[in-house]
Amino acid sequence: MSGSLIEARGLTKHYDGFSLEGVDLTVNEGEVVGFVGQNGAGKSTTIKALLGLFPVDGGEAQVLGTPSAELSRPSGAATKEQVGVVFDAISLPEHLHVADVGRIYERAFATWDAHRFSRLTAELGLDARKTVKELSRGMGMKLSLACAFSHDARLLILDEATAGLDPMARDEVLDRLRDFVAEPGRAVLMSSHITSDLERIADRIVCIDNGRIVFDLPKDAITDEMGIARCRVADLERVAASGVIPERDLRYLRHDYGIDLLVPDRFAFAESFPEVPVDRMTIDDYLALTLKGGVR
Amino acid sequence: MKRAYLIEMTIFRDYAKQLLGLGLIVSLCIGVGMQTPLAMPATLTVMFFMMGAMGLAAYDELNHWGLFRLTLPLSRRDVVLGRYGAIVTLGLMGMVVGLVGALIAIGAVSALGIGGEIGEAFTFDESLTGPTAFVTSFCLLMGAVVASVVTPLYFRLGQTRATQLLPTVIVLLFVVPVALLGNSGMLDGAIPGLDLLSDLLTALETPAGMVCGVAACVALAAAALAISAAASLRLYEKREL
Repeated sequence: MSGSLIEARGLTKHYDGFSLEGVDLTVNEGEVVGFVGQNGAGKSTTIKALLGLFPVDGGEAQVLGTPSAELSRPSGAATKEQVGVVFDAISLPEHLHVADVGRIYERAFATWDAHRFSRLTAELGLDARKTVKELSRGMGMKLSLACAFSHDARLLILDEATAGLDPMARDEVLDRLRDFVAEPGRAVLMSSHITSDLERIADRIVCIDNGRIVFDLPKDAITDEMGIARCRVADLERVAASGVIPERDLRYLRHDYGIDLLVPDRFAFAESFPEVPVDRMTIDDYLALTLKGGVR
Repeated sequence: MKRAYLIEMTIFRDYAKQLLGLGLIVSLCIGVGMQTPLAMPATLTVMFFMMGAMGLAAYDELNHWGLFRLTLPLSRRDVVLGRYGAIVTLGLMGMVVGLVGALIAIGAVSALGIGGEIGEAFTFDESLTGPTAFVTSFCLLMGAVVASVVTPLYFRLGQTRATQLLPTVIVLLFVVPVALLGNSGMLDGAIPGLDLLSDLLTALETPAGMVCGVAACVALAAAALAISAAASLRLYEKREL
């Protein structure tokens, strides 16, 4: 538990038509953990379970050492002083002005830094007189992020927080997240469909599908070590027969023009099969091969 | 609890300002319509209790605020107690606005030299102080009871579902019993303890009785809200957001 800001073991929650099934998730100090998966895979449900927004049917979770079930009780609510949360859309009544939002956070957080909030909102181009309703989705997300960065949080939990941001704003937010996590004792859990963001800042990628964790890997293991081989049918048979890739790890996707093959070590593969082109693996490619790919 | 209360009041501030202005106009209309300033604080007290309970609950579902609020350093207990604190504050604000409206009306009628029935009705009469206090505190009790009934439903079901159910609940709690009693003939004098009620009403006409009546209404209102808050707490703690 030492060094873990989030630790979940076997989280289980059953709904009609969907279940979280034994979700394990750890976020360690100094890490940015990217949480990925298809729509409805269970990312938001997991995040809500971590935040103690509903009781779980099994397993346990802790956030900053406090059991998630305690976070909405008087005994654990103070832990949330150190947690910044951003959901995928602004979660405040729409009649509030940007300045009112600052006031609400000031009342909520003992560590609220009004000066930092004013500076951030100005830098992000947010007009204090505008109401939440008048903000575009992207501007609303900027406001939510400005709030999360303004109360000296140790842990940020971001659920699709960069969705709706323009590329320049995303760059800025990613830089701020990098700066944030560079301070000792901090970490970020960030669910996102924009995997290019995660390729830039994540240390680890956790994928959930149909309520189960599918993989939990260092990002560099995916993007630096793995590769995607562009094969013909004959190449695939040759690779399979060679044993360079263990049979159980042989995952592929068929296309009209060939077969994409998941290569665990692209450098070793290139030495063994120099005639087969191997590209660098992206998180998107890895997700597609893992979730939709065939196995032999 | 204090944080949750202040957050509620910040969220409700703009609506409260509108309510104050609207309430002042409504109280003047009621006072003139009923030709007595006595009803002005009473009406606004019950109106503000009800609008507070319903208006505050309405914000919970805007942009999933009710869910997001629990990611702030607040417990569910804080949220419930903060809500009741805000409802009581708004109810008392209604009472103050009604009293101010009554004083303005009395002052204006006197300053403008308006005569006739209205001039007579709005002349300051010290003997009306007691009845005004009792009627206002009785309306405070009514407002508190309504808020006490609706607020646990809002906490358990959310504003949308609770609003769909509330008419049925109100009819079951407040209309059906009266209809049943009326048809049973009990209202014609057969209700047990009707003599006691009659004695109590007579006692209200004395200054000491009036003070006791006001105190009883306030105490009953506080009890209703306390019981309701306890129920809300239990219901909200089990609710999946």
